Amino acid sequence: MDPANTPLGRMLLDEISPVVMVLTTPLVDEACQKNGLSFIEMLSPFCVFNNIDVPVRTASDQPYRLQKFKLRLFYASDIRQPDLQVTKERLKEVITKAGEEESLNLHLDAPQPDDLLSRSESEVLPSWFKFFNKELIRTLSFSDHEAFDHPVVCLLVVSSKDDQPVNRFVDLFNTDQLPSLLNDGAMDPKIHKLYLLLHDNQDAPPEKATKFLSEMKSTFGANALQLLCINSSRDGLVEHLENPWTLYKSDALSTHSLGRFLNKDDVNEIKDLTQDLASKHVIPSMEEKVRVLNQQVSATRKGFRNQIKNLWWRKGKEESLDASNGPTYTFSSTESQIRVLGDYAFMLRDYELALSNYRLISTDYKLDKAWKRYAGVQEMMGVTYFMLNHSRKEAEYCMENAFNTYLKNVPAGHQNATRCGLWWIEMLKARDQYKEAASVYFHISGEESLHSAVMLEQASYCYLYSKPPMLRKYGFHLVLSGNQYKKCDQIKHAIRTYQRAISVFKGTTWSYIKDHVHFHVGQWYAFLGLYDAAVVHMLEVLMCAHQSKTTQELFLKNFLHFVQKAGKACEVLKLPLPIINASSLKVVFEDHRTYASPAAIGVRESLWRSFEEEVIPSLPTARTNWLEVQSKPISRKRKESNVCIVGEAIQVDVEFKNPLQISIPLTNVSLICELFERSDEAQTDASTSSELQNNEHINLTAERLMNFDKSSFALSDVDCTLESGSTTMVKLTVTPREEGILNIVGVKWRLSGSVVGCYNFLTTTMKKTATRKKKQKRSFTDNLKFEVIKSLPKLEGLIHTLPEKVYAGELRHLTLELSNMSEAAVKNLKMKISHPRFLNIGKAEHLKVKYPTCLEKRTDGEQTGSLAQPIEGSDSVFHFPNDIVVRKDSPLSWPLWFHAAVPGNISLYIVLYYEIEDAESFMKYRTLRMFYNLEVLPAIDVSFQISPLPSTLQKFLVRMDVASRTSLEDFQIHQLSSLGSQWEISLIDTLFHPPLLMSAQAFTCFLMLKRCEKPKGSDEVSSLTPCIGGDVKLSPNDDGESLYDISLSPLSDFHNCERLHQEKPSQGDSDTVDFVLISRRVHSESGSGVSYSPCLLSNHACHCSISSSSPISWAVEGPREIHHNFSASFCEVSLRMTLYNSSDAVASLRVNTLDSNQSGFLLSDSSAVLPTNQEGWYNVSLESEIKVTSDVRGTILNSLSSESIRPIIWSGSSSTKLQLEPSSTVQIPLQVCIFCPGTYDLSNYVVQWNLQWPIDQGNEETRPNSGTCPGYPYYITVLPSS
Amino acid sequence: MGREVSESCVESLLIEMVSSYCNRFYADKPELAARRIEAIGYQVGHQLSERYTMERPRFIDHLEAIKFICKDFWSEIFKKQIDNLKTNHRGTFVLQDNRFRWLSRMSIESSPETTGSSQDGEDKAAQAMSMHLYFPCGIIRGALSNLGIPCAVSADISHLPACSFVIRIKA
Amino acid sequence: MIVCVAVVGHQNNPLYIQSFTEADDALKLHHVVHCSLDVVDERVNNPKKSGPMLNETYLGLLYPTENYKVYGYLTNTKVKFILVTTDLDVKDADVRNFFRRFHAAYVDAVSNPFHVPGKKITSRTFAERVSTIVKAFGLSSAG
Repeated sequence: MDPANTPLGRMLLDEISPVVMVLTTPLVDEACQKNGLSFIEMLSPFCVFNNIDVPVRTASDQPYRLQKFKLRLFYASDIRQPDLQVTKERLKEVITKAGEEESLNLHLDAPQPDDLLSRSESEVLPSWFKFFNKELIRTLSFSDHEAFDHPVVCLLVVSSKDDQPVNRFVDLFNTDQLPSLLNDGAMDPKIHKLYLLLHDNQDAPPEKATKFLSEMKSTFGANALQLLCINSSRDGLVEHLENPWTLYKSDALSTHSLGRFLNKDDVNEIKDLTQDLASKHVIPSMEEKVRVLNQQVSATRKGFRNQIKNLWWRKGKEESLDASNGPTYTFSSTESQIRVLGDYAFMLRDYELALSNYRLISTDYKLDKAWKRYAGVQEMMGVTYFMLNHSRKEAEYCMENAFNTYLKNVPAGHQNATRCGLWWIEMLKARDQYKEAASVYFHISGEESLHSAVMLEQASYCYLYSKPPMLRKYGFHLVLSGNQYKKCDQIKHAIRTYQRAISVFKGTTWSYIKDHVHFHVGQWYAFLGLYDAAVVHMLEVLMCAHQSKTTQELFLKNFLHFVQKAGKACEVLKLPLPIINASSLKVVFEDHRTYASPAAIGVRESLWRSFEEEVIPSLPTARTNWLEVQSKPISRKRKESNVCIVGEAIQVDVEFKNPLQISIPLTNVSLICELFERSDEAQTDASTSSELQNNEHINLTAERLMNFDKSSFALSDVDCTLESGSTTMVKLTVTPREEGILNIVGVKWRLSGSVVGCYNFLTTTMKKTATRKKKQKRSFTDNLKFEVIKSLPKLEGLIHTLPEKVYAGELRHLTLELSNMSEAAVKNLKMKISHPRFLNIGKAEHLKVKYPTCLEKRTDGEQTGSLAQPIEGSDSVFHFPNDIVVRKDSPLSWPLWFHAAVPGNISLYIVLYYEIEDAESFMKYRTLRMFYNLEVLPAIDVSFQISPLPSTLQKFLVRMDVASRTSLEDFQIHQLSSLGSQWEISLIDTLFHPPLLMSAQAFTCFLMLKRCEKPKGSDEVSSLTPCIGGDVKLSPNDDGESLYDISLSPLSDFHNCERLHQEKPSQGDSDTVDFVLISRRVHSESGSGVSYSPCLLSNHACHCSISSSSPISWAVEGPREIHHNFSASFCEVSLRMTLYNSSDAVASLRVNTLDSNQSGFLLSDSSAVLPTNQEGWYNVSLESEIKVTSDVRGTILNSLSSESIRPIIWSGSSSTKLQLEPSSTVQIPLQVCIFCPGTYDLSNYVVQWNLQWPIDQGNEETRPNSGTCPGYPYYITVLPSS
Repeated sequence: MGREVSESCVESLLIEMVSSYCNRFYADKPELAARRIEAIGYQVGHQLSERYTMERPRFIDHLEAIKFICKDFWSEIFKKQIDNLKTNHRGTFVLQDNRFRWLSRMSIESSPETTGSSQDGEDKAAQAMSMHLYFPCGIIRGALSNLGIPCAVSADISHLPACSFVIRIKA
Repeated sequence: MIVCVAVVGHQNNPLYIQSFTEADDALKLHHVVHCSLDVVDERVNNPKKSGPMLNETYLGLLYPTENYKVYGYLTNTKVKFILVTTDLDVKDADVRNFFRRFHAAYVDAVSNPFHVPGKKITSRTFAERVSTIVKAFGLSSAG
């Protein structure tokens, strides 16, 4: 491309162009000021020539033509180095002004880098950069080491009103007020002058002027003199379309008034003036000068000899140098002449010539160590190379060289370096080397912060436009420059840069930087008083969990402060703090299901339903019921929207999480709801659907919330403080007060008293606990949408005195209280209990009874009313009597019996069904769900061992092991009862009383169980009828308590449950007995946490099988003590053995009597044969004093073993075989012969038995088929009769 | 720093993992189990590739990465290289291992309880096999995606004990 | 001395960035590291600049800022390691060695099954290892 058209080219064309020094008289300016212009301003628009077609001939002989040309006009007074301070000020206000304009588009958010890239550089860059750079370069004009600012022509202007214009001309150009450049000899004072006579047509007709002119011609010569007539229009109403002066009048107050009095021919006259000023005077004089200088130079310096001479000469004057910046060169010195030559050539576009001279001079300056001049020349060389558009290497080398020289070797050369840098940058940009340009910008960004800020910003844009774009550096430099702007409080610029930086870091995880940027932008906005914007940015930094605690506090503090300033306190905005865990959202509401306690809500819905199944009418019918009742249009809606009731709260659990390390206080956290009349339902749907879009809807609902009359629903208001990093569940409720459609839109809270944030549920998806039985696919909106129906009665229920800790076996008397708050009454109460084993529904008359005395046996026989009617089926529904109706202020209380059956944690579910009385109500029925969880501590373990007595068939020995499992309580064993008509139980020795059962102790006692002979079948009902002797009182006699009647209602009912739960042992089917052990807690202030109440503990042991391991039992009967005269004969004793087959199969028996002395063996063997008998249980089974027998037997055995011959033998059949029908007895005779007196054990026989089962029932693995039992010890004492 | 682990351990671990995912966690939905196993493999491959590409110049193109998988990566894991690498030059590569270590000790004939037609025994075995193959597939996918090559990997055991992994690079 | 080391994930997300200066210039260092990514991209995208060390993991001196030198290292898995130092003369061998050890530490860190790929590295052991490596670097370059 043509370098002249590059930005740099254009810049050079108007920066490096001939200067015309202007000297005027005050009257001239006065005349011009009529047009609101100074003389120069009036001319300057016409000093730019786009095609001034002038032939130029410089050193070379063939001429070329200049097209573009420009003159720079300066008053002589302005031709001097501008004062640094002043220029600084000017730059500063340039920037500030730019900042003012910036403030207009502050609020629109920063553009993204890529769309910045899409747009052209010129429109992205702030427009004032160019201007700023130009000003920056201006600061260096008229420096003495460069010649292109030296005036080429001097223009003296005198008004025709001046008297003696001739003399005026003369003393205008007196040297003492000429600029220093000319005076101190930096440039040639002999300057080509041009005289101009300015005539104001308003003052006088032009003839006067021409008269002057003619007389002056003689003195100054014709062509050096010009006349310019202006202000030809009488009335100052000339309108210039595209007024040419506006551009040159920087502070244009009224642009249209510029040049009012200059009509067309005035303008043309000015044009002509400047035209031939350029073509006839400036250019020719320059040509001529160039030619002259060129000859001189080539004479002195061209050619080999001159070179050598030059070198020698310079060597010679080496030492005479002052080190500062080389020698001072006067205009006459060759060096400055060459420089002038170069510059003129450059201005005349003869770049070759210029370059050659620059080359020539630069070496000299280098040798002279005239660094400033050297750098200047290098600079020009670079530019010239550029304009010549070849060898960019050279160009850049020169620029860099100049740049570094300025920086290093030139004192206070920073200004020059800056200009050089700017040119260099333009050069690089022209060649798309943006990255390098950026680094140059970075270098010229000096310590002076405002300046550097601008440079850094420009650098950042260079990074943006470098290929590929280096966005991160772009961002970084923006931030840097923003910092600098801030330093010299150009806040608006700072904000602009930072905002653009934000767009770079947006979406990255470089949170540290992001926070910094947002935070500062926020602060600066606040500084400017734009608090809304500040808040917006502060919102970004709130979620700074990664920051240090102090930083978090700082951020939060600032945020709150700004918010207050912004007056946003009441306004709702989308707060990121705290985090709301949407998935944890739980909605709990009561439609036809009501809950007695929060615990009940926690229970799984399916569980409830399984309980409710037989309580409530089957669903489809139910629905049709309450839909038919309703009017049609709603019924459709009803199906997919939840139903809630006026005056009953809907609870929403929201989980707040605080990610910060500081605790944040939340106040009035509440739900956002809206309640619509049914009529505008359609509109509701529309709104809710639209509400799925987010936050502008937030505000929408917010204000909707505001104008909702609070009467339509009531919101709960919760305050809480989130500790650092904690998560808290907040329970919020809304209570509708009118019928309609209720939408729960979201939740709002007030952060630390000032900011109100809100969160929209509808945009999130979540699970919901209290979901109705319906299609599980339901849109989320429906989940938070409720059909509010008019108020219904609702039962509140609780169970009085239900402890949460009890001891196993405790039997308590509770009352269920149902109260109805509303006017309407409820009826048809039904109740279902999950564990009838634990909780039992009493009868109305139980309500008043005094427990436990009510359970005591009445002495008089009337027990009819309290006879337990068996309850059918363990888990069935209890129907309250139909006449019961629960009304307001008439609460219903109903007795319950609680029996802690087994230790452990028990959850009791109770479902209470009731129907609403007024038929046209929306729901026919409701259910009340009660849930109790209580802990049952182990208290008493009782186990029974029953074994048939060897001696008698109808008696059984019962061993009761009672152990206390708690270490805290003592128990008084009160009574033991055996259920079943055919049983009666008694203590073995009636004197024995079990002690107070101390904690963690155990005792054993033996009882006798007797089957009373009444031939009654053992069917359930009769088994429960009490019989005399069914109970044994175990407590010491002295306390006055009488026995308890276990056949009374609660006990018997619980006993039935126990029977059902304690499954029958498969063995010993029919012949079982149930025991109930009743004991009392002895009141003790023990820390067991179990509330003491004078209650009973009943332990039920059911299905204790009486049948011993062997189905066969027998008894040997006969005399115990015999007097016999052995002198006569041996004694023959006949015994009778009664065998009983307790099994339900035919048994084949054989009884072997053994004479050999093997009893010991057999005994030991027996334990092996019968593994089921533990601890040799019935070996010690004698009717009376156990301890005695054992050692007696021991002696006997010893005696037996010691004796060699046995004085006793079995006689009669040694083996008897027989068949025995199920549960039948048979007697067989036995005979024994005794030879000498003594006490003998007749246990040395064996009963072998074998059962023949019917084919079908083949559970052999449980029942023994056959076995061998050793004989029981039977002691007979024979005394010699004298 | 080459820490090693006994091969038997690795194999039993693999077997245990597969069985517990297939029979315990997702017994009823095998495709879920497969996905989980593949995910485990993915993570393993992801990390292994991080380790095994240390000290080596960056790969210029996909082929180089695949070669790396075939040579060094494979021999780091299996002490042998891939035997045969095929590609249609449109982003599909077939890596064949003639004796894939993790299958080599697997019984191919039908498991005993399938007394019926040996056919269903066969595909039962194949089913079990394929379950064991999700893990290596995941490894390959993880490694490649960590190298910046998103792809889909499938395995083919049509002729055992040779096993070929098909890598389809997502364009 | 080493001023700052950083691990940057393949989406140019910071995985680990640790400065070893008393001064509070964390922000500045973040910026430096962040900018260095530009250079890394440049190096990788037009390899002609990186010249001889074509697609070598070690990227060498990325750019000298006014008072830092920034070195880079790019793994096969597009994870960048950045080293910011104030030493004026750093032996290339030292830097390579440093990066090798750093990489090893990183690999061990991410091999932890509980580390989520692409998330910040919070392992304390990793931090300790890195600091020891950094110290070692100081010593070796001093000697």
